Amino acid sequence: MKSIIRASLAIIAISMILMYVVSLLEDTSSAGDGGTINVYNWGEYIDPELVSQFEEETGITVVYETFDSNEAMMTKVEQGGTTYDVAMPSEYAIEKMKEADLLHPINLNKITNLENIDPYFLDLPFDPGNEYSIPYFWGTVGIAYNPSLLDGQTFESWDDLWDPTLEQEVILVDSAREVIGMGLNSLGYSLNSTDMGELREATDKLKTLGPNVKAIIGDEIVEMMRREEAAVALTWSGQAADMMWINENIDYSVPEEGSNLWFDNMIIPKTADNIDGAHEFINFMLDAEVAAQNADYVGYSTPNQAAMELMDPEVIGDERFYPTEEMRERLEVYENLGLEMLGVYNELFLEFKMDMEK
Amino acid sequence: MEKLSKTARIYLAIVFIILYAPIFYLIFYSFNSGGTMSSFEGFTLEHYAAVFNDTRLIVIVLNTVIVALLSALISTAIGVLGAIGIVFIRNRKMRNAVLSLNTILIVSPDVIIGASFLILFTLVGIKLGFASVLISHIAFSIPIVVIMVLPKLMEMSDSLIDAATDLGASKRDILTRVIIPYIKPGIFAGFFLALTYSLDDFAVTFFVTGNGFATLSVEIYSMARAGITLTINALSALIFLVTLGLVLGYYFFNNRTRLTVRPPGGGN
Repeated sequence: MKSIIRASLAIIAISMILMYVVSLLEDTSSAGDGGTINVYNWGEYIDPELVSQFEEETGITVVYETFDSNEAMMTKVEQGGTTYDVAMPSEYAIEKMKEADLLHPINLNKITNLENIDPYFLDLPFDPGNEYSIPYFWGTVGIAYNPSLLDGQTFESWDDLWDPTLEQEVILVDSAREVIGMGLNSLGYSLNSTDMGELREATDKLKTLGPNVKAIIGDEIVEMMRREEAAVALTWSGQAADMMWINENIDYSVPEEGSNLWFDNMIIPKTADNIDGAHEFINFMLDAEVAAQNADYVGYSTPNQAAMELMDPEVIGDERFYPTEEMRERLEVYENLGLEMLGVYNELFLEFKMDMEK
Repeated sequence: MEKLSKTARIYLAIVFIILYAPIFYLIFYSFNSGGTMSSFEGFTLEHYAAVFNDTRLIVIVLNTVIVALLSALISTAIGVLGAIGIVFIRNRKMRNAVLSLNTILIVSPDVIIGASFLILFTLVGIKLGFASVLISHIAFSIPIVVIMVLPKLMEMSDSLIDAATDLGASKRDILTRVIIPYIKPGIFAGFFLALTYSLDDFAVTFFVTGNGFATLSVEIYSMARAGITLTINALSALIFLVTLGLVLGYYFFNNRTRLTVRPPGGGN
């Protein structure tokens, strides 16, 4: 009995010491008394130095937490029990959150740095007037490919994926709207199409891609491309940038028929506690120098015009990640098609996948 | 014990190699200056430096350990008392019913436990964070402790208790001087199992973390979108070393106490 009591006391003592260490560590990483904000972001999606800089400048302590999917983030906000003050979901998630009344309106008067943002990225269909969201990073859907594994193919058009020499070489991202959207785009239709005839045609066309498809997977795409286990992948520009960061052989292109334009945005969840702090944080992130440093760290495309002027011209001039105006015309943002239509997309995607197994 | 035959030894070696290879592969690449797990370019310790520079990561590791220690301790206390209670239920049917209820908790998927905790906490109004994680870890560890302690209790002869009563021991004495010393190995086993369960739990924790509080498993999972960096390899290597140290320490400690409790030839 004695030894058990001794062991218990030792465990409690160790826990206390560790807690004390934690409180010390948390103290040194923050400046102090300006209150606290909880920031909820994707993993590896901010330059940690900027968080410290924000803390020093404002005296607000930032509690930073990460999520791995929009759905996980929404669940946490929806269930309550959390007080996230700023979060960075993708645009389709914003529409859903808006419908579910999970967002707090943003007071644009307090976001003085909003003028830094390229007007092209403001007032978009998923959030007219930027009532609830401010763009954080953006990108496209396109084709990442590794020329060293191919014999000279380029991907100017979606139809290039159907090239018979690419048998068992193409990886698709496991997401209904991206894949069906590619089918629609390749036929010259809008990727927000709700026309059953167009959708059927796109699905039938996708089925003929079957022999070329090596796999339909998620985030593993990045690792597979890096290791040159696959030559071609339908993916987001952000993932392509991650691949190119490690493997310089990889190239990325957005086919000329058009593609999707996506956004990750800063929002204030309804459950937020420190609304003023949240506004300050959003405004801080829009500062030209801050945004430039952040874009440099994360490697995604920034919507911040003023920041682009401060960045390496080589990066900004890269048309693969900062498409020309002419190219942008052909990019479309996903519109909320409603649950029923989403069901149709999912069903068609499933049909395509089932067809592959034959 | 009989000496192992050659084939048996080779078989054992192969099994251990397969089990440990992924861990050593991971540790090996934590020294890679190339930045990926695909090609080894040169030796570096920069990933280890990165671990110690990342205060947030260290705080998360410490939080994981604190939750594991406290939840294992509290669940062991509750679980041991629970197991003693179960053993002393006279009615056989009743006892089996309680035992089955305990087993169901072990068998039921973590996802369901996690989701139900999330719903419970929001309903009751407990803010997600340290408290919610600790409570849920205690809850899923209790049945494990009960299962670990029960066999020892079952094995204990009733006459021990009868003898103690005859000699004038109070109920309290019986508990603290007879039962608990007897089942002590079971208690420690239960504690260590609860500790490991808590350390590597992902599913339940995933649901109940929030407001800036995270454990290591949840944090690493969140990093998956942008690719896991070699910092995680370095951290895993460090944790592996610490675990190894703990296991060795535990054996050392165990052997020594066994020697002092029962010195060879002695009989007290």
